[in-house]
Amino acid sequence: MDWQALLLTLKLALVTTAILLAVAVPFAAWVRLSGSRVRGLAQAIAALPLVLPPTVLGYYLLVLLGTRTAVGRAIAAVLGHPLAFSFAGLVVGSAVYSLPFAVQPLVTGFGAVDEAMVDAARLLGAGWLRVVGEILLPLAKRSVVTAALLSFLHTVGEFGVVLMLGGDIPGATRTLSIVLFDQVQDFNDRAANETSLLLLGLSLTALLVLYARPATGKATGKAAQHD
Amino acid sequence: MRRGWQLALMLVMLAATATGMAQTLRAPVRIAAAADLQPVLPPILQAFEAETGVHAVATYESSAALTAQILNGAGFDLFLSADMSYPARVIAAGMGATTEPVAYAHGVLVLWTRRDSRWPQPTMALLRDPALKRLAIADPDRAPYGRAAMAAIKGMGLTAALQAKLVTAANIAQAAQFAETGNADAGLISRTAAVTPALSAAGDFVVVPQGLYPVIEQGAVVLAHSAERVEAERFLDFLRSPEMQAQLERSGLMAVRSTTPHGAS
Repeated sequence: MDWQALLLTLKLALVTTAILLAVAVPFAAWVRLSGSRVRGLAQAIAALPLVLPPTVLGYYLLVLLGTRTAVGRAIAAVLGHPLAFSFAGLVVGSAVYSLPFAVQPLVTGFGAVDEAMVDAARLLGAGWLRVVGEILLPLAKRSVVTAALLSFLHTVGEFGVVLMLGGDIPGATRTLSIVLFDQVQDFNDRAANETSLLLLGLSLTALLVLYARPATGKATGKAAQHD
Repeated sequence: MRRGWQLALMLVMLAATATGMAQTLRAPVRIAAAADLQPVLPPILQAFEAETGVHAVATYESSAALTAQILNGAGFDLFLSADMSYPARVIAAGMGATTEPVAYAHGVLVLWTRRDSRWPQPTMALLRDPALKRLAIADPDRAPYGRAAMAAIKGMGLTAALQAKLVTAANIAQAAQFAETGNADAGLISRTAAVTPALSAAGDFVVVPQGLYPVIEQGAVVLAHSAERVEAERFLDFLRSPEMQAQLERSGLMAVRSTTPHGAS
């Protein structure tokens, strides 16, 4: 078992999940609370990573982060090297790749929060921050957990983007899925089976946490969660 | 109005599906081709179809990945590897129609850089330059060009110096991407990739001296389970014909029957 790759994968998934929650919560709140006419467009764009094949997404990121583009040259000038083939590069790729998995549950969850409660809070003078912090997040707690878990798991299983953007560097970009790919290519079925089992076990446990909880129905104030 | 659009869209999709099915009905020769052939094969497939009326389609991957697919029953008719060891492995598994792989070309390793890089006209000496931060190679454990790249690095006594600078691509086409997009400073890639219009426009290359790495002998094997065995063999003969060998040379490979198969370019 490649423990270094396992640790790296978990670290990548954790960092990515943290970043995604930080981005997706404000985004979902904006979708829920603003009357903006471009909400639909913004949501559509946020869902796009679902459509592109991961290797294509990875290739576009490779081009964007490379010295062919102004963005890439600026990053390279600041860091002293291009962002690709580094852990930070993988975080960027993973965040884009897993974005829909953070955004969708949150938008749905925030959308299910009772309109009357949001209106009441606003009438009483609560600003956006308070509405999000004291109404939306507590009432859509389950959606936040779902968003976090799905982002985490989707990043753990990420392959195409890492393949395109990683450069297979042990300890920096060689994640478990790359190790697994290499083991399969080496006809090393035994090691591949071990790695797969570990990935499956890890994911099943996490998904059980998500789905084995009692269904609490709609995310309203009445659906108190005892756990 | 809206329904009219939907209907039109469905018709277009149906037509597209039908066209696709009509093509598959002709049972094309399915070729598993090493990634260095990606820019090479399409005109040859066209010439083959023009001459014989037989449609052939190719799937490009690293030789190792293709071997894993074939050993697990992928329905290819012909395997064009980037070396001799992978087809030999297929034969050893009892899945080859012949007892030996057939060489169809020799691969050429080049050092490629972007024109806007620090080394617009690359020489082998740049591998010793401390300013070189990242060198793209194909996977040395799984891609024949990667193996050749590591041999060349070792031959120059640079294994230790370059170890931390290597970025490894899954196959040679991807190694070329790493360099072409400017994410790696330079790449040890196949000449087949370097002479493509995209890479010729973006940069330049120097051929890695032949003595630095073992010959990349690219071998093929027709698969025993192939339903199109006759056509697959016909394609392999076609590929080894003088005209197509000349075409391979134009595409960056070396002909197998050339009298000086590994002269300097």
